[in-house]
Amino acid sequence: MDYVSPFDERRRVAEPLAPRPVSLEGARVALLDINKRRGDEFLDRIEELLRARGAVTFRLVKEIFSKPAAADIVRRIADRGDLAVEGLAD
Amino acid sequence: MSLTAAPEFSLASVGGGVFGLSELHAEGPVLLLFVSEECPTCTLALRRLSSAGVPFVAVFEDPLEVAARVARRTGFSGVVLAEPAPYEVSQAYSLVSLPTAVLVDRDGRETGRVVGWDAEALESLVSIPLTREAPLRKPGCAAKNTYDADTLRALDGAGFDELEDMFERGWTDGLPVVPPTVERVRAMLGGHDGDELLGEMAPALASVTLERVAACAVLAGCRPEYFPVVVAAVQAVLEPSFNVGGQAVTTQPCGQIVVVNGPVRDAIGLNGSAGALGPGWRANMTIGRALRLVVSLTGGGFPGRLDRSTLGNPGKVGLCFAEDEEASPWEPLHVSLGFPAGRSVVTVFGADAPLSVSDHRSLEPLELARVLGEAAGATWSPTWWPLGGTSLFAICPEHARSFAQWGWDKERVRSEMFAAVRRPAGSLRWGETTPLVQAASDDSLVDKWSRPEDIVLVVAGGEAGRFSAVFGPCLGMDTEPISKEVPWIT
Repeated sequence: MDYVSPFDERRRVAEPLAPRPVSLEGARVALLDINKRRGDEFLDRIEELLRARGAVTFRLVKEIFSKPAAADIVRRIADRGDLAVEGLAD
Repeated sequence: MSLTAAPEFSLASVGGGVFGLSELHAEGPVLLLFVSEECPTCTLALRRLSSAGVPFVAVFEDPLEVAARVARRTGFSGVVLAEPAPYEVSQAYSLVSLPTAVLVDRDGRETGRVVGWDAEALESLVSIPLTREAPLRKPGCAAKNTYDADTLRALDGAGFDELEDMFERGWTDGLPVVPPTVERVRAMLGGHDGDELLGEMAPALASVTLERVAACAVLAGCRPEYFPVVVAAVQAVLEPSFNVGGQAVTTQPCGQIVVVNGPVRDAIGLNGSAGALGPGWRANMTIGRALRLVVSLTGGGFPGRLDRSTLGNPGKVGLCFAEDEEASPWEPLHVSLGFPAGRSVVTVFGADAPLSVSDHRSLEPLELARVLGEAAGATWSPTWWPLGGTSLFAICPEHARSFAQWGWDKERVRSEMFAAVRRPAGSLRWGETTPLVQAASDDSLVDKWSRPEDIVLVVAGGEAGRFSAVFGPCLGMDTEPISKEVPWIT
């Protein structure tokens, strides 16, 4: 029996992972706050730990947690960062 | 021992296309596992070889759709080939019993064969350790190529149930569906171009084409004349400001509620009267369900997978109703939103489950407005003020008529309801509350809504009974109700 699938059956090719950093010394790390309550507290602590290991951090905040990050935020992470950390959920 | 050439074949693959034996052994030896659906030993072999990581090609003495179903059920993700009757390949391989594993080297010669489940013999054939769990040996079943013509006729179609097949494919919301055959989907499309792209839906980032929407409408049980209403609803949820992607994956219980206005209601038998919120009316039940199938199947927001809703709600199966414009003393929703009265319009809300509000005693309009508003005061959380989202009220005809008799139009009801539901911030400072309440002084009054426009009133329900309902909002989704005109009426 021939059926019409409700799914988009295109096969997706997984993006290869970027090379893993060998050291955090001097690495530029983007810290993305998705704007959920207390996400900033979590990122404050992560930032402290990253800086102690020589990383250079910068912070970004999404407008709202439930929608994709604005293109500008994604571009800034890509342009300015070597790594990114996103604080998810409450 | 001289090796014999394995018989060449060319068989259809479940993944699409046709495979020949020479392609399969071109890169190195290949293990062919001949199986059939009815044989429990074949199922055992499929499961055990798969879980041991043995690479093999499954060759079914079954039709393609049956082979696909058994492969899904057993978790086999390799190449699946199907040979329906009269089983010439099976005969060429002299198969008497299934499962039979045949190892073919890169020159196309058979180098070994194991009949039935024999863990030790298979292990030595493939040189990969297999589980030592019982049974270590299990005889198989007769290969179908050995059946006589009468037995084959008796079996024809007996192993295939297309409703069960839909469940095994995962093309369902948990209820039985109508299989979306090519013919049914074509009828649903009614001559419209199935390749037309309506948009991209998160979280799957899937292309939502008219054909996929039609497939969901068939699955849901829609009649073709309902299809334009489904299309309008899908167009509405695809608007970025509706944020269907957020609603599809959130831990909140939000569903997508479809309200329909205009002539299409009568044209397709959509109910806005007794029992409007369901069940009982095919158009109501299936249109709402079709939209939810687009969100959960095509869009990828399937419960328990990417849809992480903590409890869900029955409205997530689908909820569609008409406004009872004829029983309403007020202008209908679509007219309030700026559409001409004679147009058919779908408005979709991201909303929680409905909360019924009974009031058979109020003797003046403010009292009734307050009862309805206070019910909404408990939505999301009794201490979360203001809501910061839309509350959809289904006002029953008796309540609506009372307001009208007291001289209140819809705007007046809304503004009085807004003004009636206020609390001192100090009384709301417990449990989960808002930054606004946290910052306010104890006696400053806080509203349940940010603005009167966040209260939307539609009239629906039976003639008898003073029961209205309110749908709480999906907060944090930054969603707004979206209206779309029904693109055509058949």
